[in-house]
Amino acid sequence: MIKITNLSKFYGKNQVLNAIDLEFEKGKVYGIVGENGAGKTTLFRCISGLETYKGDIQSDFKKLKDHLGLLLTEPFFFSKITGKEYIQLLANARSIEITDMEKGNIFDLPLEQYASTYSTGMKKKLALTAILLQENKVFILDEPFNGVDIQSNLIISRIISKLKDLDKTVIISSHIFSTLAETCDEIFLMKDGEIIRKVKQADFNKLETEMKAFTIGNRIDMLDLK
Amino acid sequence: MKTYFELQFKMFNRNIIAFGLPLLIAYTLIPSVFIIISNYLFSKTEFASYLYIFVALGFISKSSEPKRNDFLKSIYNKMDYFKLRAVENLIYSLPFLIFLAYKGLYLYIIALSILAISMTVFNFNTNLNITIPTPFGKKPFEFTVGFRKTFFIFPMAYFLTYISIEVGNFNLGVFSMVMIGITCMSYYSKIENEYFVWSYNVSSKEFLSEKVKTGLLNFSLLSLPSLMALGIFFFNEIGILLIVLFTCYLYLVTIIFAKYASFPKEMNISQGILIAGSLLFPPILLFIAPFFYSQSIKRLNSLLE
Repeated sequence: MIKITNLSKFYGKNQVLNAIDLEFEKGKVYGIVGENGAGKTTLFRCISGLETYKGDIQSDFKKLKDHLGLLLTEPFFFSKITGKEYIQLLANARSIEITDMEKGNIFDLPLEQYASTYSTGMKKKLALTAILLQENKVFILDEPFNGVDIQSNLIISRIISKLKDLDKTVIISSHIFSTLAETCDEIFLMKDGEIIRKVKQADFNKLETEMKAFTIGNRIDMLDLK
Repeated sequence: MKTYFELQFKMFNRNIIAFGLPLLIAYTLIPSVFIIISNYLFSKTEFASYLYIFVALGFISKSSEPKRNDFLKSIYNKMDYFKLRAVENLIYSLPFLIFLAYKGLYLYIIALSILAISMTVFNFNTNLNITIPTPFGKKPFEFTVGFRKTFFIFPMAYFLTYISIEVGNFNLGVFSMVMIGITCMSYYSKIENEYFVWSYNVSSKEFLSEKVKTGLLNFSLLSLPSLMALGIFFFNEIGILLIVLFTCYLYLVTIIFAKYASFPKEMNISQGILIAGSLLFPPILLFIAPFFYSQSIKRLNSLLE
């Protein structure tokens, strides 16, 4: 279990996270939704230990980061590293030996090519493959469905369900509500660095309707399109 | 088009400022360095004018990147696009054209101008994407990436070793060893994204120790052919050879520690000065290296502990 208490984050005087309290349990999938700049990525970076913060983050592990697979919105790649070597690098980092890399290549990526030449979707799939092969206990997936083709979206959804069955904790952020509704047990709505709502599976449809009404409102009319 | 060039000028200035140079100094320094190098080139070889055009075209070729030009095509009509590219290529070649005029090489000016304008028609990728095989694929990333970028240096260094044995010049052999050492050290000049440090489930000490082990082992492998050949053919100088090898090890370790001493930022000026100063008296590294080590541990602790 991961327990976040009174988590706040400032960049200079700018407060980006404000007194967040959250709990993530084993064998459950959590979704975080919110507009761009709501603080989702900063929250993930704090949980991962990539940012300093005020407040408390506790987990069942001595060091949470050693059991955490983090998929960044835009994964970083070195210029002359092949897909295979990227996976090897992340496996080495966790002292994992990969005996058959092709078997783990579920997205049929061209692993002998430089990863930096991959398309956005392929890069995301490679980064996801690498963290899955790390045998992590907790997964934070920041926008896992972005830029990925429909077939791979289906595979990713299935992977998330499988991780849940394996008693792993999965935290996802996405702008595609339908995919979140399909995979999550609970969704947290973020706005201006705060969790403004926690919604259980039974109320997902209600949340989607509310979000549409709130997000779209009369904005399109304001454009005065001709 | 005017807006485009104004923006390019602003971007250029911003890059200079981001590099840490005041604009006034940069605009004095860049032309001065350019003139010094050009003069040096023309004083050293009779083929300088050909080489000069070749360098200029290499410089201009950067504006032929397909992605960038597809973007320009999407915002300008065909005529404006070609005009813009022609003007841009002429601006890039302007310093070379002025220097050729100063040298009175008018035929070369015409040739370079025609080539620069002709290149507006071509779009090509200046980065080759062929996967170069590397013996370091099992332990990414410094030597994997570095070897692919500098693989041509090693045959050159081994060839120098061979020449040094052929002509009986031990110093040239030492130079070939140092060349391999400096190349390997350069692999640690670029700082990696913090994600790749964060991913490790080891302590800061273990992380650094692993980096040092990999660095020393891979450098040893790359320098082994030169070392063995020089050791056999200059057996009397083996002591000096081992001192060179040990000094290379020491510099490599120091540079690894220096890299992480300011992590996730690039190596700073004071670190550079310390390392450069050690060239005057290398044993000082025995004091600098532990200092960088303790700083690295502090920096890495925030991500790994």
